[in-house]
Amino acid sequence: MDEFAQKLYDTFILDDRWKYLTNGLCTTLIITVFAVMIGMLLGFLVAIVRATHDKTGKLKILNFISKIYLTVIRGTPVMVQLLIIYYIIFASVRIDKTFVGILAFGINSGAYVAEIVRSGIMSIDQGQFEAGASLGLNYPKTMLFIILPQAFKNILPALANECIVLLKETSVAGYIALEDLTKGGDIIRSVTYEAFLPLIAVALIYLIIVVGLSSLVGKLERRLKKSDRG
Amino acid sequence: MIEVKDLRKSFGDLEILKGVTINIEKGEKVVVIGQSGSGKSTFLRCLNRLEKPSGGSIMFEGTDLIAATDKQLYKVREKMGMVFQHFNLFPHLTIRKNLTIAPVKLRVMSKEEADERAEIMLKKVGLADKAESYPNMLSGGQKQRIAIARALVMNPDVMLFDEPTSALDPEMVGEVLELMKQLAEEGMTMIVVTHEMGFAKEVASRVVFMDGGVIAEENDPQTFFSNPESPRLRAFLSKVL
Repeated sequence: MDEFAQKLYDTFILDDRWKYLTNGLCTTLIITVFAVMIGMLLGFLVAIVRATHDKTGKLKILNFISKIYLTVIRGTPVMVQLLIIYYIIFASVRIDKTFVGILAFGINSGAYVAEIVRSGIMSIDQGQFEAGASLGLNYPKTMLFIILPQAFKNILPALANECIVLLKETSVAGYIALEDLTKGGDIIRSVTYEAFLPLIAVALIYLIIVVGLSSLVGKLERRLKKSDRG
Repeated sequence: MIEVKDLRKSFGDLEILKGVTINIEKGEKVVVIGQSGSGKSTFLRCLNRLEKPSGGSIMFEGTDLIAATDKQLYKVREKMGMVFQHFNLFPHLTIRKNLTIAPVKLRVMSKEEADERAEIMLKKVGLADKAESYPNMLSGGQKQRIAIARALVMNPDVMLFDEPTSALDPEMVGEVLELMKQLAEEGMTMIVVTHEMGFAKEVASRVVFMDGGVIAEENDPQTFFSNPESPRLRAFLSKVL
């Protein structure tokens, strides 16, 4: 028992080592939150371009660019994308690594969000587009006020899941020496030569956040469903 | 008001409309009947350009709908109300918002004006108490009456009905037809695609029989039903009456 207490002390208390975890958690959350924002923005734009092209045949060039973006991003591992952005695209500039992380994960997430949103748009009955058009609403207005609100409700669970996946994926940020939560735990392991406690602590922190987020989404979903049943 | 000349529409190799010509005057109530696949719904959907015609011309209040720009087209649609077989109410909006979203977003009315007008239209269709409900809480007949109110809020010059009672349970058909009859009496110009022969007899100023992508016969309802000229129409009527 004493030995375990000693290990706890060495892992978390000695030299304020717990700060590796809290600072790391901060970095992880910052990267995730901003990457989600970029991902959503990018994803919705690309999805609207793709869906508009599929429905009306317009936006050919933008659709072509979007398709290349989706193919490249979804066809390569996120870690490779991260390394390329850091070591090739920003090779000659000194740049904040957190920013690089946000950009890389945001661009990556955008591709997955785009396909989720597109499937949401395509799942809305064609009659809704026609009803909007028959009232004189043009395509962008119909999209914005009629289609997207309905699509958003349908895809909310998938979008939330994408956020959760993204949170976990940021754990490879250590490869560009970003001190995120995972890296923080790993640093403690490398100074104490004790793997169990720091890594389990890291895993628990991820788990708690993910479970918390999932329950929040569940609540939101139930509230949105009210308009279906009244 | 609406002049259609030699209207054609193909889907791929399949020619649905093979040259439809008809003039519709203000205040007319034209009922279009015919078998499934005769092109009557496609004809109606071409009138407000939900389908893009492959040939011919459509003039509406002086605007050429074939040559119209997208912008003109949306302007024209504000003046052509449409009622769909499957209602197509917006499920994420309350009934009030269903009625007001178009006039408000198109800036033809302020929010207050639109609310006021929605109130009047809801009273007209007898559903004033449903303003805060969502579409899923309504019966089919109620949904279709709301759909009619939604089109009326825009103050259209003509109303297009695409089989408005075909998706309804039999006991709800009456309330929708009653409302349409009331509209007709108020002088609304109406083009109605339907299988309701009783409605055609009672309300139509002209009945049009479509067959094989053309107008095979048209007449006032009296002559149309009692004295059909073409054998095809006679055969059709003997099946449905």
